[in-house]
Amino acid sequence: MEQDQELLNRCLAGEDSAWEALLSVHTRRIYNICYRFTGRVEEAEDVAQEVFIKVFQTLRSYDAAQGSFSTWLNRVTRNHLVDHYRRTRKERATSSLEDELPAAEVKSGPQLEPARPLESRERRELLQRGLDKLSPDLREAVILRDLQDLDYEEIAQVLGVPQGTVKSRINRGRLELGRVLKRMEGVRGPAKAGSEP
Amino acid sequence: MTHLDVENLTSDYLEGLLGAEVKRELESHLRLCPACLEMVEDVRQAMELCQAAPALEPAPWLVSRIMLATVGERRPSWAERLAAYIRPVFHSRLAYGIAMAVFSFSIIVNAAGISLRKVTVGDLNPLTWWPRADRAANLYLARLEQFASDLRVVYEVESRIQQLRSQAEEERKTPKEDPPAGGSSKTAPLRLPALAGNAAWVGEPFGHTGPGGTNSYSTP
Repeated sequence: MEQDQELLNRCLAGEDSAWEALLSVHTRRIYNICYRFTGRVEEAEDVAQEVFIKVFQTLRSYDAAQGSFSTWLNRVTRNHLVDHYRRTRKERATSSLEDELPAAEVKSGPQLEPARPLESRERRELLQRGLDKLSPDLREAVILRDLQDLDYEEIAQVLGVPQGTVKSRINRGRLELGRVLKRMEGVRGPAKAGSEP
Repeated sequence: MTHLDVENLTSDYLEGLLGAEVKRELESHLRLCPACLEMVEDVRQAMELCQAAPALEPAPWLVSRIMLATVGERRPSWAERLAAYIRPVFHSRLAYGIAMAVFSFSIIVNAAGISLRKVTVGDLNPLTWWPRADRAANLYLARLEQFASDLRVVYEVESRIQQLRSQAEEERKTPKEDPPAGGSSKTAPLRLPALAGNAAWVGEPFGHTGPGGTNSYSTP
């Protein structure tokens, strides 16, 4: 946190190397949030880049009294993801229909795959597809809590809603994700969630 | 406790945030309700799947791309510029070259008899410093030759003493023959071993001559 503040001060003084250091610290986390939300590598890279451009342009508006830089960065990311989601909703609706087709074919097919433990890559894809099925409100709450490991208070700051709402969304998101994954696993075969090495 | 209560409390239950009393009630409900138990188990698996998911590495060029999109070509800081100037000095080949140049320069200056504390314009003229440098070089060469020559003499003397000792030892060990009757009781004089190279190389070791102009180490 202190390191962030020092880097920020140097950034504001026009030191490019400080901005690069700040990027090195936070890019991975922001990219992961973007990827979990969008589900596509290229899209996540583009969104992460847009987030950092926005951060760079509004760096002077950050107020340390309002919370840590990390929380502020998460909030900017979340707002940008919501905007991005709204912008790409139509395109997403089309592609999500396409995504559904293979699953529908598998469901209606006469032979299902034999039951076997899911490989690590398959598990990642399964999780991503499960997250994609959640509504944006529930998805972002689950991502911030279970994938980014933020506490309720910080999530409330990022999302700009009371903690009670955060808890409710996380709970509903988990219930929904559990149901979705169960349905998907029913198609692909059972998997033990904790069996990944 | 109703099914809806269980549903609302599932996250708190799995995160261990419930009080003892509520937790007991919920667990007793789960024992009697397979549907709720299955639902809690599904959520548990979903949470475990999320928490076990590894963080993904962004493409290595992402930071560079963002840098380019925000600040353009990055301007190096003062420290980086300074480091860029200094870095080649620490390159081993360059450092070695500089050291050798300094060493050669110091030898030339020393040989030329130039005092770096009192350098004059005249010292830059080759006619001034060349004779001095030539003289100094010849002097060093002569000293070197003298040293080599002295060293050879010392080794020669040492080897000769060694030979004399071993010869005396041999004679002491061999049984003495009876002298012929009426013969002299004097023993034969000790025969000196011949020197390996003789006087040809022992010669005159650069200014070291014995009394009367002959080499003091030459065989008689």
